[in-house]
Amino acid sequence: MSWPLVLLVTAPVIAGLGSLLVRQRRVIEVLQCAKVGAMLAAAALVAGQVIAAGEVSVEGFLRTDALSAWLDLIIGFVGSTGTLYAVGYMGEEMDRTHLSSRRYSQFFCLFDLYLAAMLLAVNLENIAIMWIAIEGSTLSAALLIGFDRSKAALEAGWKYIILSSVGISLALFGTILVYYSSEHVLGVSNEALRWSQLYRVAEGLDPGAIKVAFIFSLIGYGTKAGIAPMHTWLPDAHAEAPTPVSAMLSANMLTLAVYAILRFKAVTDRTVGPEFSGKLIIGLALLSLAVSATFILVQRDYKRLFAYSSIEHIGIALLGFGIGGLGVFAGAWHLMNHALAKSTAFYGAGLVFLRYNHKSLDRVTGLLSQMPIAGTAILVAGVALAGMPPFGLFTSEVLIAIGAYRAKPEVTYVFLSLLTLAFVTLLYQVLRMTFGAPGEAGTALGRQCRIFTSAAVGINILLLGTIGLHVPPGLEALLASIMKIFGGGMEAPR
Amino acid sequence: MSLLTQHLGSQLVDLGSALLLLTCFAIVAQRRLSACVDLFALQSVFLALTAALVAFLTGIHHIYIAAALTIVIKVVVIPRILKRVIERLNVTRELQMNVNVPTGLLVCGGLVILAFFITQPIIPLGFLLTRDSLAIALAIILIGFFTMIARKKAVTQVIGFLVMENGLFLGAAAAAYGMPLIVELGVFFDVLVGALIIGIYSHRLQDTFDSVDTSKLTTLKE
Repeated sequence: MSWPLVLLVTAPVIAGLGSLLVRQRRVIEVLQCAKVGAMLAAAALVAGQVIAAGEVSVEGFLRTDALSAWLDLIIGFVGSTGTLYAVGYMGEEMDRTHLSSRRYSQFFCLFDLYLAAMLLAVNLENIAIMWIAIEGSTLSAALLIGFDRSKAALEAGWKYIILSSVGISLALFGTILVYYSSEHVLGVSNEALRWSQLYRVAEGLDPGAIKVAFIFSLIGYGTKAGIAPMHTWLPDAHAEAPTPVSAMLSANMLTLAVYAILRFKAVTDRTVGPEFSGKLIIGLALLSLAVSATFILVQRDYKRLFAYSSIEHIGIALLGFGIGGLGVFAGAWHLMNHALAKSTAFYGAGLVFLRYNHKSLDRVTGLLSQMPIAGTAILVAGVALAGMPPFGLFTSEVLIAIGAYRAKPEVTYVFLSLLTLAFVTLLYQVLRMTFGAPGEAGTALGRQCRIFTSAAVGINILLLGTIGLHVPPGLEALLASIMKIFGGGMEAPR
Repeated sequence: MSLLTQHLGSQLVDLGSALLLLTCFAIVAQRRLSACVDLFALQSVFLALTAALVAFLTGIHHIYIAAALTIVIKVVVIPRILKRVIERLNVTRELQMNVNVPTGLLVCGGLVILAFFITQPIIPLGFLLTRDSLAIALAIILIGFFTMIARKKAVTQVIGFLVMENGLFLGAAAAAYGMPLIVELGVFFDVLVGALIIGIYSHRLQDTFDSVDTSKLTTLKE
């Protein structure tokens, strides 16, 4: 029985239900800050236990291996800074009387349930119950995206819930197919759905059924991960959701969907070898890169710009996992750095939106001199997201290029040319937004909003900088265990 | 179980699955929204009967619980919610569709063939009793998906989604002899909450856009 694991999953639930019940702003703030502390400590402790013991579990219901612990760290840390940011952001909305205290407490209840569903999903042992938790995160996200109730927000929310529901239904069919083939080996019981058991017996499963199951789960969870061509909900949802939610969608939910794909990939690779899943994933990853690089070029809305950049980075991480071997290391590293950098970018974008009340990219200039916090956030995150050193995304992109070159050189050429295109446009837009003379005055932000949001931005930038060019030993141990889950990949000796 | 019961049982499960598929076609052909809801309720009755039959033939008792929940949630609760939405929104018929009825039916025929084609290699793996249900389940999922694309009204898109869910349940209950109970309960809960949220959304769309015609949602475009 691992108590930090239980704490990690229950802290957001308690804070969320508490926020719904109390309704006083100060109490909610205290509750949320307590939750942040609990989540940070619990995520770090769980990761520590996994590094020491390999795996931790709770009575056959929760089971955390290195891959789950990796996601715990990402969702736990980014979820924590996201909560701090949300306290500042929604508080400012409330000070400006855009938000009643009832809606304020509803927001935090939904926000916490959303975090709880994601944290539960990555620690569950049963892949069907994992599906239920992921669907729970989809439903709470749907309510959060349409939270503003404006025309555009409703449209984005509708698009999201319809597309995600379809996607997730296909993923459930994939799960049923896995059960359909594994119950012959493990019996008609819960055992036949536990990933630890599935890994063990994977070689004896029917290859045909597992292949079809993988395709369904790739398309299904891929819709939620926003990989092309199922990405159409993503830019709308990221642009129209309240900004703390956009940051969580991009940093946590897309990463969670990639996690779900990886669980199925690990089973599939054991049954039919890494070539099958690798080729499919590489194909979709390159398509996502192509689509996002093209659309980043034509964006006129800064939140949509960062949204398309998320499609790009999820594509890059998936490319790494598709190649396997060194690519798995780089892919996991990419996911963590992307989550930190992208949430920082959205934190900055949200402050800009609060100040100017529009999202037009062309009208934003000179952020560094007018809004130092937002300017720094967007500049640092933008440089990191473009893939420049001294940030981790540089390391992972180089490693993925090397891995791709060893396994399939032709993939590298496509990868690097698309990467260059996205690099140039993103960096140009970010530099244009941050330097120069400020354009318009806008509405100044309140003191409390500034304190909480700078804390969120500060922690994120600090983490991003610390893990920048060298991987801390603890994280390296986790990454090594993650690589073991996936084996040699495509670049195995030929 | 004697060979005769086994054989008869297998035929009956096939019959139940086929009836589910038939109601799918009826939904695709039906323009009146309230009739679509009734057809969905009828389909859920067939689903519950098929699931109960599988539970009886295999002696796996928790499938009975899934069948009972299907009756409560999909035959009674969800259709009632949808009818109330239709009444409030004052839309009765769907006059314009993205795909017209004859073409739609042809496409669905194609989807059934596709479903059998995809599942062909894995069908022999299944239990003797319920072999063909997997292909039919996939066909129902695909037709539900198609309904969501072909129709414009928010309510019919919800029905398409629910038809997909029925296909999934047929797949789980018949082809795989039921998922473990906790999974089935969780999935039911999610479906119910999902339907409620989609219902809330269609109310808000009506209030904001003065329409539940989703083709009017065109603010967000590249």
